[in-house]
Amino acid sequence: MGFTFVPPATYILWTMSEAAATPTPPNKPVAPAPKPFAPEDEVTLRESLKRCSPSTFEAAIQFRKTGNADHVPAVVIGVIERFVEPDLRVKLKDADDDLRLIEDLGIDSLTMMEIVILVEDVLQMSINNEELRNLRTVGDVKTFIDCKVRGLPLPKPTKFLPIEHIGTVMPIQPPFLFLNEASVSSTSASGKYKISGQEFFLQGHFKDNPVMPASIMLEALGQLAVLYLLEGAPAEPGKRVSPQTIFFTGCEGVRAHRLCKPGDILSLSVKPKRMKMPLATFEGSIRVGADKAVIAEEITLTFGFVDIVEAPAPVAAAAAPLRAAVNA
Amino acid sequence: MPRVFITGLGFVTSIGNDAATVVDHLRTLRHGLELYPPFQQPDIPCKVTGTIKGFTTDSTDPEDWTFPAAYSIKRELLRSMAPSGLYAHCAMLQAIADARLAPPDLSNPDTGLYAASGGSPFLTHYHHERLQKFGVTRCSPLGIVASIVGTLNFNLVAAFRIQGASCGFSSACASSAHALGFAHDELVLGRQKRMLIVGAEDGNRDAILPFAGMRTLSLQKDPALASRPFDAARDGFVGTGGATVMVLETEDEVARRGVTPYAEVLGWGQASDGHNVAISHPEGLGSAAAMRLALRASRVEPNEVDYVNAHATSTLIGDISEARALRAVFGAALPQVAVSSTKALTGHGLSLAGVMESAFCALALRHGFVPGCANLATVDPECAGLNLPRTTEARPVRTVLKNSSGFGGANVAVLFRRAA
Repeated sequence: MGFTFVPPATYILWTMSEAAATPTPPNKPVAPAPKPFAPEDEVTLRESLKRCSPSTFEAAIQFRKTGNADHVPAVVIGVIERFVEPDLRVKLKDADDDLRLIEDLGIDSLTMMEIVILVEDVLQMSINNEELRNLRTVGDVKTFIDCKVRGLPLPKPTKFLPIEHIGTVMPIQPPFLFLNEASVSSTSASGKYKISGQEFFLQGHFKDNPVMPASIMLEALGQLAVLYLLEGAPAEPGKRVSPQTIFFTGCEGVRAHRLCKPGDILSLSVKPKRMKMPLATFEGSIRVGADKAVIAEEITLTFGFVDIVEAPAPVAAAAAPLRAAVNA
Repeated sequence: MPRVFITGLGFVTSIGNDAATVVDHLRTLRHGLELYPPFQQPDIPCKVTGTIKGFTTDSTDPEDWTFPAAYSIKRELLRSMAPSGLYAHCAMLQAIADARLAPPDLSNPDTGLYAASGGSPFLTHYHHERLQKFGVTRCSPLGIVASIVGTLNFNLVAAFRIQGASCGFSSACASSAHALGFAHDELVLGRQKRMLIVGAEDGNRDAILPFAGMRTLSLQKDPALASRPFDAARDGFVGTGGATVMVLETEDEVARRGVTPYAEVLGWGQASDGHNVAISHPEGLGSAAAMRLALRASRVEPNEVDYVNAHATSTLIGDISEARALRAVFGAALPQVAVSSTKALTGHGLSLAGVMESAFCALALRHGFVPGCANLATVDPECAGLNLPRTTEARPVRTVLKNSSGFGGANVAVLFRRAA
């Protein structure tokens, strides 16, 4: 009963459906209508995308002609770019998926609607208002549109987890927990840890020269991967990943590039590469500001599922005597 | 009661997009009317409008519009504008510079903005058509704020971070005169220290052509003869668009900021005909009542008035009603009061007219001239007795009255006096 996580680009084709021709219930994936792309459609498409880059139009026309969803990210980025004030467009050049729509690109909710309407028009799809609320980053938008186009279940929104929440869900606890905060989506997790200087191991690592051990930094990446498994990974219906089943199994291609010392803030990120029960493999990296600190090509964890139990235990316990009384 | 002064003006009009050009046109009586390309079709009987030069706003997409390079407007602001919003934004920038207002002078709880426009039938039409054709989900999220009647105040209050009183006025061709009157009251009542009054209209096919259904538009093909208020041969009004912005400030603010005002707003009055939805009262009952109230509120005798900028739009009935009202109010003083309608030069700006022509009065008071009656060849006998100068007279002017009237028989009169 395992499931496979495959990066979307390796899906071959989605199935054509009649969904676009009939009204679509909320959240039901929509695939482009199988009607052939006519020359007059090209005129309309060109008019719709007249303020987008030529490459956006090219990607859109390829998608409309072939249905190949690999062109979708280029269309989405091109449409976003068109609505971003010119002086902020350079930020999109590198197309970092973590770029935030509101804070980094100045996109307000009305501009978001403009983006959506144009994407809907160009990709011939429908998007509900509720679906938009959780889109915070460029990556969220790309993933969301990609899932819609391919008819995949929509990703869970990016969740921000403060330290209190991390401590509640993680099997690892202080003084061996190396995450202060984290954000988890269905495709990645990122986190921060500030080296306080009070960490017990810094007393001996090294003598009169506190340096964060590389092994601990690898541990921090592993902990972020654990958090992803618990909070972000898609699970099977009725099941969840059990914290008690997660353990480290191996890592590959680990390199440390920078000494990290008290006061440094580690920016950690992990992305799943493969997931097939009972193994999950991630790539991970740590940065301090703009500096690369640690790269891990592969970190592999083992994990297992348990059934989701309905209703929290204390309520059930409290309700039990009452029910017994009524039954009597 | 604090006195109220005009301290800044901004213009995007058929006779000029800055105060200097407007003054030049008023002095030389050169009009801003042209054959309007969208009207040059066999099924459209009227041909002439007061055109806005230096702007193109034919597209329903604001990003297609062009405007003078002196103005830089972000897409974020442009996207929710109607053509009238673009004109008004540019006129705002002029008026703000003219009044030497810094951003903190504009954005505070003591500064408000009153606006008047007929909305944008042009964009309303476009967005409703999309709604019918493609459904709600393909409609621009900003279509509504770009189209409906409050579009001017929505856009300008947000763009200029206005924090004081704001609203729109809707009394058709009396709208921006109402806005001016009530803005004056805000200052007199001590509620605000500064008010911006904005009038603007798209002035395009969708804004003007519906008046052809009422048979009130001039069918003249010669732009020089199309708008002829008080002339026996007049055959209707000529539409126009554009924008005017006027800054009003209390005397304390004028003193504090050390600015030189154009003129003082002495007072105003309004009254209604109670007669017909679209036809003015034959005797100009409401117009006369509004003038009398304005004179009384301003403590001005009729014989003190040097010049009346008439509402006269060049329609058959309206001009006569106003002439009768003027005769009734001014009586023996009538020969001493110069009367002209600058609509002969600009065309009729509808909601824009009141504040645009009040701004012309402010220019006349500052620069010392009485605008003449352009295109007036033969005075309609029904309008006899009015002192209608055929050319602009260069002479000091002390007290000026501005008339405005709108559908439903709404009438407004405002009195201005040269700043001492």
